[in-house]
Amino acid sequence: MAGVEIRQIVKRFGDVEVIHGINLDIRDGEFVVFVGPSGCGKSTLLRMIAGLESTTGGDILIGDTRVNELPPRARDIAMVFQDYALYPHKSVFENMAFGLRLRKTPEADIQARVKEAAAILRIDHLLERKPRQLSGGQRQRVAMGRSIVRNPKCFLFDEPLSNLDAQLRNEMRTEIKKLHARLGKTIIYVTHDQVEAMTLADRIAVLSGGRVMQYATPDEIYHRPAAKFVAGFTGSPAMNFLRGTLAAGAERFDAGTVQIVLPKSLSSAARARVGQAVELGIRPEDIAIAGDLQNYATATVAASVVVLEPLGAETLVTLRIGEQEVVCRTRPDVSAQPGQTVEARLRLDKLHLFDATNGVALRS
Amino acid sequence: MKSWLDRLRDPSERTLGVILLSPAFALLALIVVYPIGKLFYNSFFDMRLSGGQGSKWIGWQNYADMIKDGAFWDATWNTVLITLITVPGALVVGLALALLANLPFKRQWPVRLALLLPWALPLAFAGLIWAWFFHTEYGFINDVWVRMGGEPRMWLLSPVSAFAAICIAIIWKSSSFMALILLAGLQMIPKSLYEAAEVDGASRWQQFWQITVPMLMPSIVVALIFRTITALQTFDIPYTMTKGGPGNATETLAMYIHKTTIDYLDVGFGSTLAVGMFVLSMILTAAYLRHISRQESA
Repeated sequence: MAGVEIRQIVKRFGDVEVIHGINLDIRDGEFVVFVGPSGCGKSTLLRMIAGLESTTGGDILIGDTRVNELPPRARDIAMVFQDYALYPHKSVFENMAFGLRLRKTPEADIQARVKEAAAILRIDHLLERKPRQLSGGQRQRVAMGRSIVRNPKCFLFDEPLSNLDAQLRNEMRTEIKKLHARLGKTIIYVTHDQVEAMTLADRIAVLSGGRVMQYATPDEIYHRPAAKFVAGFTGSPAMNFLRGTLAAGAERFDAGTVQIVLPKSLSSAARARVGQAVELGIRPEDIAIAGDLQNYATATVAASVVVLEPLGAETLVTLRIGEQEVVCRTRPDVSAQPGQTVEARLRLDKLHLFDATNGVALRS
Repeated sequence: MKSWLDRLRDPSERTLGVILLSPAFALLALIVVYPIGKLFYNSFFDMRLSGGQGSKWIGWQNYADMIKDGAFWDATWNTVLITLITVPGALVVGLALALLANLPFKRQWPVRLALLLPWALPLAFAGLIWAWFFHTEYGFINDVWVRMGGEPRMWLLSPVSAFAAICIAIIWKSSSFMALILLAGLQMIPKSLYEAAEVDGASRWQQFWQITVPMLMPSIVVALIFRTITALQTFDIPYTMTKGGPGNATETLAMYIHKTTIDYLDVGFGSTLAVGMFVLSMILTAAYLRHISRQESA
């Protein structure tokens, strides 16, 4: 068992720097998810930890060992690949046993470990089959089984669910979470799916353009995003942003005719930015048009209903506030009609302010 | 009952299929069925163009003569030996070349071009190049040999060294083709398999035997079978390098057929020999087709 420490990691491909000095500390037994859009460097970072990519600068430590110069096989890690990377000419059993055979593990031990892992993943009836005779979900289980049998210090998952259909993805997500609870090993997991990140992680590293935008618990990422990018990346639908300026000693947010008096905590954090352009962020569930959010302090603004999207358990209502549109999550029995003018209430304690130029959250 | 003209005017799907395929059938019949049929037919005749007495039906006599003919067995043995040496030889060299060409070179095209060059050369031309290499007075091989302190040797005039020289030339010429097929096979192997094996703990050597070779096996088998069939038909290189000499030491079956038919104008016996070679090739082709169909059904 071991944690992973990433210190000032830099990666360059030719003249192009893709990772710009990342620092991350992953605790022993922790489940950490690297999330971000395509090209943010999350897979490259994972592959550097695995040893499949060299590092241009900085240090990677697994346990207490600096592993920069060690080949993948000497790092005591296991990796699950996006395309599973199962050996097509070997049976499921031999796929799982391959790593053990290379390490000259005694045959009885191999049999026991493969069978135990197969039982955990419920693939014990497939051991004689070849990968091409398996479904996508079964292949995924075999790929996980192959990493489990080796009993490594750390598991690396590179977008393991992205080739599965939606239902299977949900199922496997739960499986992976159970597996982590059972094994208690360090897992580093790469995905572009914020739902996977939120549901699986102990901590999430949100990456963008080769930098870590925020490294925190899912709860903190969601409720206290450090940057507009993080706020916009998490949650579905994403956070709403209203562009405007700070007025009256940063106590008021103005966006054209719309004026919102900010709570004390926000205005004191934004005092230095009076007169400057900012973006006000608020999540869809923190806006109400019906009788919701009665027990909270809210700011009320006039809005017109643009469109309703009933989802069954809830309805998403697009509202026009001034010149800008926001999405509001409401009860399914909401009586609003398109074109109707309503009063939108914005929860004051859930407002976020971001610098309009660099996207950094303004907070006390 | 519809007349054939009516059926032609308003054809059923089946009739239309036959109509559309018939030009291809006719062409195949003309260029494949007729020559092979004629070959079999001729093999039952005493048909010597030198005598001027026309052809005479002699039944299986040519076949009996062939079985008793020492030169036929010598040529067959030479052909089989060339096949047994050059096919594995070209596989090993071709695999090495394919692995080399598959390395991440900055510029791929010079490597690919170098790989293709021997394949693109005409066979007879390759034979002439190597004949010059092994030339007693002006050859590159003797030049190096003498510089290393050896006596100049007549490579192409001793049975063993002439045979070896021919095998080297054939391997040089045919390993390009092997490399080409194997390179295509290599590029089909997903990179992630090597990465998985690396994480699993496999060394480069283990990756080669555990991933590359098994994954390449279908390409290897196809290349081997193709190469074996063409090796059985070896003609140009020994013809241009030694003309089958010294004596009959390097004469292949194809050369013996050529000599019998073209030089001695014995078309009947030449056809019989050709039938023998045809049967040998067909056995291998059948084995190849069986392998393919087995792979498809697997």
